[in-house]
Amino acid sequence: MTTTAIASIRAGRILAVASGKGGVGKTWFAITLAHALARVGERVLLFDGDLGLANVDIQLGLTPEHDLGSVVEGRVGLAQAARAHEGGFAILAGRSGSGALSQLGPAALEALLAALRQESTRLDRVVLDLGAGLGRSVRRMAGFADTLLVVATEEPTSLTDAYAALKLHAADAPTGQARVVVNQAASRAAGERTYTTLARACQAFLGRAPTLAGVVRRDDRVREAIRRQTLFLTRHPTAPAAADVEAIAAGIRGA
Amino acid sequence: MRLKLYRAPAIAGAMAQVRAELGAEALILSSRRVAGGVEVTAALEKDDAPAPPPAADPKRAAAFAWHGVPAGLARRLQAGPLPFALSTVLCFEKLALDGSAPPLLVIGPPGAGKTLTVARLAAGLVMAGTAPVVVTTDGKRAGAAEQLAAFTRLLDLQLLVASAPAALSRALARREGGAPVLIDSPGSDPFDADQREEIAALAATAGADLVVVLPAGLDAGEAADLAGAYAACGARLLAATRLDLARRIGGVLAAAGAGLALAAAGVGPGAADGLVPMTPDLLATRLMCVPELSAARTGAPPT
Repeated sequence: MTTTAIASIRAGRILAVASGKGGVGKTWFAITLAHALARVGERVLLFDGDLGLANVDIQLGLTPEHDLGSVVEGRVGLAQAARAHEGGFAILAGRSGSGALSQLGPAALEALLAALRQESTRLDRVVLDLGAGLGRSVRRMAGFADTLLVVATEEPTSLTDAYAALKLHAADAPTGQARVVVNQAASRAAGERTYTTLARACQAFLGRAPTLAGVVRRDDRVREAIRRQTLFLTRHPTAPAAADVEAIAAGIRGA
Repeated sequence: MRLKLYRAPAIAGAMAQVRAELGAEALILSSRRVAGGVEVTAALEKDDAPAPPPAADPKRAAAFAWHGVPAGLARRLQAGPLPFALSTVLCFEKLALDGSAPPLLVIGPPGAGKTLTVARLAAGLVMAGTAPVVVTTDGKRAGAAEQLAAFTRLLDLQLLVASAPAALSRALARREGGAPVLIDSPGSDPFDADQREEIAALAATAGADLVVVLPAGLDAGEAADLAGAYAACGARLLAATRLDLARRIGGVLAAAGAGLALAAAGVGPGAADGLVPMTPDLLATRLMCVPELSAARTGAPPT
């Protein structure tokens, strides 16, 4: 078994970014990945799938005219609600604190996902930023995506939660593709070690192991970029963490 | 999944904690060196584990029996791909040979291949562009230092002879910063308390990691006893030599099972390429290489 082999198979068109545990940099990674894909010419929609506590728009300092709430309420179509961002990708913002969205019923969620699938045919890539936790809608969206990216850090709590996300995904999408992103790694080698630990647990307990999407090295400038509500790749294009996300984007494109 | 980190001065202690707390079913996910010892990450999946253990592979069971793999280990190595099973039941660790790593003190019974192992590690470093400091603490036995000196002359390295801890500490004090240190030692009997103390004193003086050299082909019980005794004086790592000459290697697994991390494998006569990192894949390939099994496959009559 070659556990540290970087995935070289093209990822699917709809990517879901999950973590189980919050605070591991999931939303930051989803935004930066969407940006990296857009910078190499892909038509990308970043979809804030955190139905209860959306914060893609907050990380980017946006005040969207429409958001996911407007779509669910049927006031606008999904394509109209998305807005172009200066980073070169489209964003469909969530609505933070929206009770209606967090209580979205199964039928409404299916309708939303069907619309998203429809919209995706006009795009190269959809990046779905899922909420923390493993609630019903998170689980459904993870299984719906063509490729699940699970963001983990080396902390045992993060590893356990990432494992739980992968376990549910294995049950929901037995043939689905899952990849691991190790974020905030002390070094590339440390990140690969974290991945190997997680992959071993999956191989032993689930009978299959996710591949490694890549390792993003820890970088204090990430926090600073988030505080300034700016895109990381614009603000720090030469940072190691920027190169790491770009490498993951290249792997997703099968490059 | 329950996931827990265990720290102990040596692998054996950490593994004992894992077994005591999580039981024999616990999987070792990773191990790494930390300040003051090792850290082992172990996991246990109690509830609704979806994959039931598959039936024992008869070919694998036959190979284990032929090699003399201890029954307890063989049982735990039944499920899943063999390299994977090995990596979750035994510990594998690369020898740290960079300048920032602690010196490696190579120990083992007489004739195990310690001096050749030191020479091969030195040759590998020289070929990679690093000149290690090579020390032997075997100044007493006739010709012992000369054997290593023949290698170090070829490699254009100086050999330091330091028989007592004080001399060793003087020798190490002279080393230039950043050079890896390899220390050869005289053959020892780890069942002898005095000799164990000598080893511990040398290791403490050098601040060294202890690498036990054991030849493949030992009886499994003997190998486990030796490994356990060396582990008790602080050894963590195992270099298994003569994997190219021995046929049955159950002893190597038994030694690893007794608390040493598999680090290096002697696989050929070459001075530099004869010693390679021990990996789960290498060990699995070697285990499934059983003359009787291949004879059965090709239809040759059993001997």
